[in-house]
Amino acid sequence: MTATMERPAAPETTGGAPMIDRAEGWRRRAPLLPALIFTIIVTQIPFILTLWYSLQSWNLVRPGSQEFVWFSNYADVFADSQFRTVALNTVIMTLGSVLIAVVLGLLLALLLNRQFVGRGVVRTLLITPFLITPVAAALLWKTVLLDPTLGLINFVLTPFGASGTEWISNYPLASVMAALIWQWTPFMMLLLLAGLQSMPTDQLEAARVDGASAWSTFRELTLPHLRRFIELGVVLGTIYLVNIFDQVYMMTQGGPGVASANLPFYIYQRAFLGFDIGQSAAMGVVVVILTLIAANFALRLIFKSFSGEEEAA
Amino acid sequence: MAEVVFDQASRIYTPGAKPAVDSLDLTVADGDLVVLVGPSGSGKSTALRMLAGLEPIDAGSVRIDGRDVVDVPSKDRDIAMVFQNYALYPSKTVAENMAFPLKMRGMGKEERAQRVRQAAEMLGLTDFLDRKPKALSGGQRQRVAMGRAIVREPQVFLMDEPLSNLDAKMRVQTRAQIAEMQNRLAVSTVYVTHDQVEAMTMGDKVAVLADGKLQQYATPPELYDRPINSFVAGFIGSPAMNLLDLPRSSSGVTLGGIEIPLPREVSDAAGSRDRLTVGIRPEDWVLESTGSDAGSVVKAVVDVVEELGSESYLYAHLAEDTSTSIVVRGPGRVQVRFGDPIAVRPNPDALHVFDAETGQRLP
Repeated sequence: MTATMERPAAPETTGGAPMIDRAEGWRRRAPLLPALIFTIIVTQIPFILTLWYSLQSWNLVRPGSQEFVWFSNYADVFADSQFRTVALNTVIMTLGSVLIAVVLGLLLALLLNRQFVGRGVVRTLLITPFLITPVAAALLWKTVLLDPTLGLINFVLTPFGASGTEWISNYPLASVMAALIWQWTPFMMLLLLAGLQSMPTDQLEAARVDGASAWSTFRELTLPHLRRFIELGVVLGTIYLVNIFDQVYMMTQGGPGVASANLPFYIYQRAFLGFDIGQSAAMGVVVVILTLIAANFALRLIFKSFSGEEEAA
Repeated sequence: MAEVVFDQASRIYTPGAKPAVDSLDLTVADGDLVVLVGPSGSGKSTALRMLAGLEPIDAGSVRIDGRDVVDVPSKDRDIAMVFQNYALYPSKTVAENMAFPLKMRGMGKEERAQRVRQAAEMLGLTDFLDRKPKALSGGQRQRVAMGRAIVREPQVFLMDEPLSNLDAKMRVQTRAQIAEMQNRLAVSTVYVTHDQVEAMTMGDKVAVLADGKLQQYATPPELYDRPINSFVAGFIGSPAMNLLDLPRSSSGVTLGGIEIPLPREVSDAAGSRDRLTVGIRPEDWVLESTGSDAGSVVKAVVDVVEELGSESYLYAHLAEDTSTSIVVRGPGRVQVRFGDPIAVRPNPDALHVFDAETGQRLP
């Protein structure tokens, strides 16, 4: 993140501006200091403590077991096949949900970009899932929709001979993803609708005169125009969904086994159900490093897109 | 190459309201450049968009080369359009922009490239083919938009104020280029502008619109010499014609204490009307010496002098009737300044007389 931010020019060295001595500089910065110190306390101290814990063997259920073990926790993490499964789950859950939500959001945005009777009502209804508390949404999916005996999905599918399917037990990862997609499609839809509505009409008219079919217009003009909106949606969605916890906790508790666990949930399990502070801290550090690498690429992508490379001809 | 006919064509945005284009009758002869000109809201752009297929035709019909196109979608009308803001595709290069209409019509890659190259040579865009529109100047973008229209070799060109986003110098230059190119390609062209100078210099014929109605459709000289009503008289010409509401006298009209005789046929056509609108172009005043006999000249007081080098325009108000202002063209160097008295006499052979109520030309 810091790499992409403009460093504020230090007042002492600003060319042309009157020279400001050190004391004056500090006097000007002083009002910002409390916020800075607060931010450091709540973000950096826990992180440094996590780094410290990750170098120790420490199980809460065995008092006095705390000892310094260098990097053996990290070795254990990379040797842990469950950790790898969970990491893969996280990638599938995050990227799969985001990409499907983008595609569905695009379709709905294209629909809402047309004039039809009751458009306002439809738009409000389509946005609603995004406004529901994640825990409530997860509960809704677990009981009202996916319950094997009482769920609406099975009720609707009964005439087609598919009753009694145990959705959450048989397809745990897909079930959690369904709930995530349901919640995140409206976000993508809103973002892409804004993109569609910022499309200059004269370009669309020019395409009509130039003989483009609806599909060619979409592929050749609309999609390139939407590219940066899609990228923004993917990046924001990924940043949020990679940390998702509520749906996993509520719907499957990561199970069966770790079939539907993602990294935040697995770390939570290790720390607060397994009480293995050292190893969960090491996992946290690994996840932070991987996330930083991924986020760096992703942010670079959207800052490039939004620097207005091919804006407004 | 085709003849374009508007036959009682109307566009009604909201039923019951005044039509944006009201029963337009207009024929664009094959190969002609016809300019639609009028103030904002006159319906000129709407008329063009009806021809383009971007607005429905609610009544009447529009024919291209004898074919009624009312129900024909835009892409099948064999037209090409240049938009006011050029409407270039920002994600495509210049070459891709120009090739787009050909690609959409399924033309092969090689032929596309060849046509684009030809058009680019004609427009001086060869060096810019790989650039995106964003990296071009306003004039270059305008030429790309022209290029995208001409590669198609359509039956009709439509241009919607294509020069309005250029600076004054570029506009004069491009104006000449477009007229020259249109002559060379001999493709029927409908050109919309609010600038009467563009209309007069480019059009084979000019259609003046106001309030959705066609006022006059004529060649530029005819429009200038015989405006059909006081609206056209006031719209065409810069500075505008002096339109004065004058009382009748025994043999003509009275202006600033002098009597201006009217030609016989005008007097006859005017009948018993006791007031007439008389139009006098700035160049149809004769400047007299201020010492002239009071009975034969109109005395006025100068408000503003615009010296353009080859000529000058004197904005003045009548000495007798300070609420009446006139514009007089004088020679390039005039000695008068703000507040100076002048004496002028209208050229009696160059008067335009209109009914004071309806604005119609008499006779």
